[in-house]
Amino acid sequence: MLKILLPMTALLLTTTICKPKQLWPTTSINTFGIALLSLQWFKPSQELTMSFSNYYTSIDYISAPLLTLSCWLTPLMILASQNHLIMEPISRKRTFIFITTLLQISLVLAFSATELIMFFIMFETTLIPTLAIITRWGNQVERLNAGTYFLFYTLIGSLPLLIALLSLQNQIGTLSTYMIQLNQPTMLNTWAHTTWWFALLTAFMIKMPLYGLHLWLPKAHVEAPIAGSMILAAVLLKLGGYGIIRIMPTLNPLSKTLSYPFMVLALWGVIMTGSICLRQTDLKSLIAYSSVSHMGLVIAATLTQTQWAYTGAITLMIAHGLTSSMLFCLANTNYERTHSRTLLLARNMQLLYPLMGLWWLLTSLANMAIPPTINLMGELTIIASLFNWSNITILATGLGTIITATYTLYMLSTTQWGGTPSFIKMMPPTHTREHLLMILHILPMTLLMMKPELIWNTFY
Amino acid sequence: MAALGRCARRLLLLRGFPARGARAGSGPGGEAAAVAVTPPPAARAPRQQQHEEEEEEGSMVAMLRKNPDYHGFDPDPVIDLWNMRLAFFFGVSLCIVVGATFLHYLPDHGMRKWARREAEQKVKERERLGLPIMDSNYFDPSKLVLPDEE
Repeated sequence: MLKILLPMTALLLTTTICKPKQLWPTTSINTFGIALLSLQWFKPSQELTMSFSNYYTSIDYISAPLLTLSCWLTPLMILASQNHLIMEPISRKRTFIFITTLLQISLVLAFSATELIMFFIMFETTLIPTLAIITRWGNQVERLNAGTYFLFYTLIGSLPLLIALLSLQNQIGTLSTYMIQLNQPTMLNTWAHTTWWFALLTAFMIKMPLYGLHLWLPKAHVEAPIAGSMILAAVLLKLGGYGIIRIMPTLNPLSKTLSYPFMVLALWGVIMTGSICLRQTDLKSLIAYSSVSHMGLVIAATLTQTQWAYTGAITLMIAHGLTSSMLFCLANTNYERTHSRTLLLARNMQLLYPLMGLWWLLTSLANMAIPPTINLMGELTIIASLFNWSNITILATGLGTIITATYTLYMLSTTQWGGTPSFIKMMPPTHTREHLLMILHILPMTLLMMKPELIWNTFY
Repeated sequence: MAALGRCARRLLLLRGFPARGARAGSGPGGEAAAVAVTPPPAARAPRQQQHEEEEEEGSMVAMLRKNPDYHGFDPDPVIDLWNMRLAFFFGVSLCIVVGATFLHYLPDHGMRKWARREAEQKVKERERLGLPIMDSNYFDPSKLVLPDEE
């Protein structure tokens, strides 16, 4: 663990004192090195329990993929930000990378936390760098509103979570992730315990987000700069999913009845947000609602608490992390050239940028859950496990799949095909950096297709 | 056809000629009309013309003018080149290639793959010998010690 945390902390120092000309190369090398080292977490030394343990952190098959994803995404964030920060003075560039590294450190500590209070503290800690990135480096006036929505939506859920966690500690005696799964069922069918149940889950539902509590997400994703959008879509949403998976063992037997409203909202949200995607004029907003749709499936799966469902949830979280981040990077290549997010403004891009068109195609196919991508593996596993839980869910999930395919094709066909608009005056060519960014997204997806056991371990 | 026209316009732009707006792929008639509009700039002073173009262009094209091999990393060509090389080396050659090799050769965690192969081999063996594949009892009934009927 320290192999990763110490270089990250050292990067904080490097960012502040390295020479201006070497800032981006140095930070890229450092973060890629950390990403390489993070792959060690896929080699668990223990059969059943958690590995790489110390007093505060440990890794198991649920946290390892998410940890590696967050370590992989940081160098990608740095690669993606190099263009829009090009005009900024050196001190602001340093601040940006500093904040990104702080975010990465808190994410690594959050996913590897053994104690739920530490997880909570790190969960909250991730809010501050993200808020700074959105409100300081966002491009429109609305970013302030977006930051407010993002912060307060999450905090409204987090305060009850803190109180509930502390009373859980009181009740069980410990909040260690090793111990809470060994406990007697704590949640009985009383009003107090019902409130307790909701308090423990609401923060994570807001984070995921669940359909009724999702309003912060389109705002935050749209107004954030590319690095902010990437980390939000790819990792911060998964903090919610990870939290739900960790907290569910303590919520029995009340979950059998109380999970119904959340499941209904989640599945309804899949269809509703998918339909909203079809009516979007803003490209980033479309991708943001697409995230809500996919995460609705994950919420529904994690609430059923079966082995297949957890496997599907983790697989879809990783797959969606990479796919969604890549979609935001692609949207950003359009934005940096047209300075607009309007979907209809950048049409027939395939003619201008054929190679970028390839990345658009591959990403859209992945988003549609085409076999043999890991997106399909995750979605199909979730759909199957939900069908096992209740036959009727197949209507929602099936319709959701169709609508997902529809809006993804809509996005692809609008940006890539059709006649070139007459108002496009000049589109600068693509950069090596942008293609590298896409390659670094798509290669892990392709490699995971070959070895999905890395993210699947609950199947086994 | 329209693509060729567009590429030509981009090349012209990089050489300092003004580029008129691309017409929606209308064919020869549109192209001719675009060409017909182009002549007037000769009347303006060259410096003013370039200044106006630069205002329209934005920083990306300005980068490309200064450094035609711009990779997207840094305005300084040397740092740009080295940043590109380092990013590719550390990103692809190290993380993806070496990382994937490491992950490929990870041991068979929990003996899952071994268990599958063993099961397939056992099934094949039992079918060859004509034995039943599996016993429906999970435990051997003779070894179970049951309490007396009370």
